[in-house]
Amino acid sequence: MLGIKKSPWIIHYDASSCNGCDIEVLACLTPGFDVERLGVINTGDPKHADIFLVTGAVNPQSNTVIRNIYRQMPEPKVVVAVGTCACSGGIFRECYNISGGVDSTIPVDVYIAGCAARPEAIIDGVVQALGVLDQKWKDMQEFAADIDKVVYGKATKSNLPSILALEKIAYYRESELYGGGGDAGLPVETQTLVSLEADFDRMTCVKASINGKIVGSARGYVEAETAHILNISVHPYCQGEGIGQRLIEDLQKALLASTAKRFEIRLGHKSTQGAWLEKQTYRSIKTEVVTPTLSWVFYQKECVPPVH
Amino acid sequence: MSINSWISLILYVLAAPFIGGALTGFDRWLSARMQARRGPSILQSFYDVRKLWQKQNLVVRSSQNFYVVFFLIFVIFTGGLFFAGVDLLMVVFALTLAAIFFVLAAYKTSSPYSFVGAERELMQMMAYEPMVLLTAIGMYMVTKSFQVDAIARHSGLLVLVLPGVFLGFLFTLVIKFRKSPFDLSASHHAHQELVRGMTTEFSGRTLALIEIAHWYETVFLLGWVYLFFASLPWLGVLAALAVFLLMILVDNAFARLKWHALKSAWVVAAVLGFGNILILSAFKA
Amino acid sequence: MTELVLTLIVAPMVCALGLFCLRGKGGGTDWIRRVLVVAGVLVVCVASVMLAMGRGGGQSETRPSGSVFLQNGVGLHVLPNHHDAIHWGIMAIELLMAAYVLYVGIRSKKWFIVILMVAQAGLMGWFELTMTHGGGGEILKVPQDLFVDKFAIIMALINGLVGGGICLYALGYMKDYHAGSGHKDVADRRSMFFTLLFIFMGAMFGLIFSNNLMWLFLFWEITTLCSYLLIGYTRTPEAKRNALRALWMNLLGGLAFAIAIVLLQRQTGATELQEMLKLASNKTILLLPAALLCFAGISKAAQLPFSNWLLGAMVAPTPVSALLHSSTMVKAGVYLVLRMSPIVTGTGVGLIVAVVGGVTFLIGSLAAITASDAKRVLAWSTVANLGLIVLCGGVGTYAAVWAGVLLIIFHAVAKCLLFLCVGVVEHKLHSRDVDAMSALIVKMPLVGGMMLIGMAGMFLAPFGMLISKWAVLKAVVDASPSLSLLVVFGSSATLFFWVKWMGKLVQTVGIPDRIRHELHAGEAVAMCGLTVLTFLACVLFPLISLIFIEPYVDGLPYSNVPRELLGSGNVTIMILMMGMVMLFPLSMLFRSRGGGVKIVDPYLCGANVEGSIKFVGSGGTVETMAMNNYYMRNLLSERLMMGWGSAFCTVILAAMLAVMAVQACR
Repeated sequence: MLGIKKSPWIIHYDASSCNGCDIEVLACLTPGFDVERLGVINTGDPKHADIFLVTGAVNPQSNTVIRNIYRQMPEPKVVVAVGTCACSGGIFRECYNISGGVDSTIPVDVYIAGCAARPEAIIDGVVQALGVLDQKWKDMQEFAADIDKVVYGKATKSNLPSILALEKIAYYRESELYGGGGDAGLPVETQTLVSLEADFDRMTCVKASINGKIVGSARGYVEAETAHILNISVHPYCQGEGIGQRLIEDLQKALLASTAKRFEIRLGHKSTQGAWLEKQTYRSIKTEVVTPTLSWVFYQKECVPPVH
Repeated sequence: MSINSWISLILYVLAAPFIGGALTGFDRWLSARMQARRGPSILQSFYDVRKLWQKQNLVVRSSQNFYVVFFLIFVIFTGGLFFAGVDLLMVVFALTLAAIFFVLAAYKTSSPYSFVGAERELMQMMAYEPMVLLTAIGMYMVTKSFQVDAIARHSGLLVLVLPGVFLGFLFTLVIKFRKSPFDLSASHHAHQELVRGMTTEFSGRTLALIEIAHWYETVFLLGWVYLFFASLPWLGVLAALAVFLLMILVDNAFARLKWHALKSAWVVAAVLGFGNILILSAFKA
Repeated sequence: MTELVLTLIVAPMVCALGLFCLRGKGGGTDWIRRVLVVAGVLVVCVASVMLAMGRGGGQSETRPSGSVFLQNGVGLHVLPNHHDAIHWGIMAIELLMAAYVLYVGIRSKKWFIVILMVAQAGLMGWFELTMTHGGGGEILKVPQDLFVDKFAIIMALINGLVGGGICLYALGYMKDYHAGSGHKDVADRRSMFFTLLFIFMGAMFGLIFSNNLMWLFLFWEITTLCSYLLIGYTRTPEAKRNALRALWMNLLGGLAFAIAIVLLQRQTGATELQEMLKLASNKTILLLPAALLCFAGISKAAQLPFSNWLLGAMVAPTPVSALLHSSTMVKAGVYLVLRMSPIVTGTGVGLIVAVVGGVTFLIGSLAAITASDAKRVLAWSTVANLGLIVLCGGVGTYAAVWAGVLLIIFHAVAKCLLFLCVGVVEHKLHSRDVDAMSALIVKMPLVGGMMLIGMAGMFLAPFGMLISKWAVLKAVVDASPSLSLLVVFGSSATLFFWVKWMGKLVQTVGIPDRIRHELHAGEAVAMCGLTVLTFLACVLFPLISLIFIEPYVDGLPYSNVPRELLGSGNVTIMILMMGMVMLFPLSMLFRSRGGGVKIVDPYLCGANVEGSIKFVGSGGTVETMAMNNYYMRNLLSERLMMGWGSAFCTVILAAMLAVMAVQACR
């Protein structure tokens, strides 16, 4: 979309940077580089911004701020990590208070390397971010337009990277209830492709896609007489459209074929989805403390075997 | 209302956003040139609005956007009244009403930054209101009418008899355009203590509506500048453009002020505006 | 007609007598009091509406016996056969009041009050005795003691409807007042309270309809006394102090009034209001009495050297502030000034009165910005608006008087509504600070909505007061452009304090609780009624102008009448605008929930915690955000402005009276 690429408004946040990258970011605005010729404005207000430039590695103090700012930006939005520290934690990576790069707390779309990142590199990164922004906007439009053309089916191994990304976006808000970022959030935040592949090998995975793009996923397995359903994820652009419910139903059907007598779903204790599950005739049966900040609440419902 | 006033009313409603948007884009381009930068395209403000139109609309209170819609409606209404040639005082009151809707919108968002912006905007309104009213009164004293069309038909150049009022009016224009010495309540540039002032909590389409309202406002205010030169139309258009250039120059040449907006604007209104009117009434007597 | 007018004056007095006799506590007393008050209010409302309707139908109705058509209205002769008895009765009442005031003055050792009272009583006593006996008993006989004209009817409607509404409101309010924790140590003297309210109402009607200046003076003094007693209702030291201040300032005005009557009678032989207006062209004789009457009006309307008493009067319970100190009694002051305006227009006296009004308007509006107590804001705004009306009276041209009368109407209904709202809010929130009213529109939607309507009526573009302000501006520009300075600066200051208050009402931080049972029955009736009245006055103002104000102003001796006041085109635009503004609350009511927007926290530099009102402070502690209005106290000092303004107004008023006195002696 032309309009969105021609007017990228930026909010710039210094997570724990040494100010080197910040000075380079500001240098982009000076006459020498003049990013305003690309329509860039440094707004300083998340509600007006399209692109979130973060410099420096993430520590507990900046973690909440980064997440607050990210949440307060309107969709579509893009996160750009500027400088080595923001990309990976840099030389501070092993520090006691550093959880890593910006992607340890929010999804990052563009990484700009350098210590400090050069203005040319920053401008180049912003231009790449515009491509991502445009793509996100198109997705948003596409999902909204084709929300009635969702295709459901079994997931394949080649889908796993997309599913990994999807789960992180989908569980972002939920995870935030527990503090978010690093170890404080839900386990889904720290999951890797390797662990996901291991899950895939022993579980049944279902997906929902629009025009080939995955917008929802869930997986489950049967252990003894209980069928466990896990990680029901729906893309934030498509939430509230019944995709999650359909995924659960599909998964229940798929798991019923084996020896399951009851279904079980677990939720974080702060989740707001409990009422919805109860509407689906699930009943909460027990609570289990996982970490000081997180407990699981387990919901179960009896299987109704198919009538033949 | 005559056919002519209907035509100019419709022209205003249809053309003002394009003219206002182009002027705003020109402003950004020229400001960049003044700072030895290349600057964005003249069409940049249209790009901005187009983008905002496509973004998600985030709010703090669900009713806050209604105030902005009414702000836009009343800004258009104000300009429409002006270009339809009705009573100038009526136009001023409608303008105030529009501004009040904007201020209330900022209050409604209940955020500290927009709150500070709203209070400052109120202070600025208090600062410019007397001079705007005195401008209307000055025009009335010369032309014997408050009607905009009658003032426009006046045979003499108003600026020659109302130089003080004109200067005072220029002063208030700086406030009204939210240009640099007086961009206390909101501005396009990020300011540490204010973020974006009144517009802090608006996003997406609502922010786009605010932008469009400012375009309408710009054209209406320049129309008022034209009124000072109405007996020579070409001079009026030139003067309006020159005033706009002057505003850009002032914006780039001055640092921001704080409280002084009120004091200085009142002094200007009292000395220039009222002095002019006193001299006029002395001559009439 | 005579019967109606007499009913309006006497019925409240009878009611007051009944309430006075009502002693004791408990449910029974309460119930009887309620019945009495409701009955009294009903009679007054019905009678004043009937009076207005009868007059609205044209002048050709049955002519009451003993009535005479005056220049601009109907004169009524009350009980012609008992003239002497009435005369002595009045004297007796005056003596009683004088004795009471003297007692008050001596008891509180306020010698100024004693001196003023002695001077006034001595003058009047000497005057009445010499006139009645020395100069022949017939001189003071006035053919028409009462009269009714359109202006009087407008005032009667305000007094009847607004005043009646306030009495109903007071029933519930005073109950809460004594039940609430804030006033435990205040003695429950509700019988006295309601007695005074009704005496005041009757006196106010008398004041409005009096043609005989002696009668007018009597009622004038009764209202002064009622005001004194009601301000001192709580008997706290502060209340006593403020009540005494109100008393001496009004007595000063009363003294001027008395001197004016004596001078007028000496110079022209007349003691009638209408007679004065007939002689309006003869300015040399009339100017000094008119100036003195204007002075009396200025003191009653709390214009600048005297503004203090009105601010102090806010210690009284809210119904008193609403009735006496915003919608009716202080209006008596501007009423008198407006009555004098055909005489003073175009003279130095007129100019000085106008300047006093204008300066009061400007300073009152600026001072209202510095106030955070809602009642003080309302008090300052009342002072300011009365100033605007006095300015109209001083300018005194056709358009100015028209605007002045319009201002009286709009101000009475809208300001009264605001006072009543503040009263209720104070009882529910236990604070009347404007900053404490944040989110009122969510906490108390009904009262909050009414408050917004009242404020819209006070200053917003197509509504009530703004129309009048506009007319004032036009009138002033035509008459003397230099005065317009005071009006334009004053009106822009009004904008500031009203909008910041409105902003507080709509600003909603967090999720506030709704307050249940917002209103008592009486409060609901009064406030809903006033809301409707405010609304109707705004919508129907062209009609009000056509039926009441224009006929009145047309009857005044003006040579050049403007072709049109606001212009029909403008009225159309205003009605269009009104419709557009109405759409706003409607669109709020019918908005779809959600509506494509997503709710997030406000931006707090990313430091938000737990929803919208808390953030992590610089020390790592969790702070709650708070927002308070600007009061600009470092720029505008209430004390300084009042000091300079009072000094200025005192000087010009004193100079005016001195110059006039010197001229008169020559």
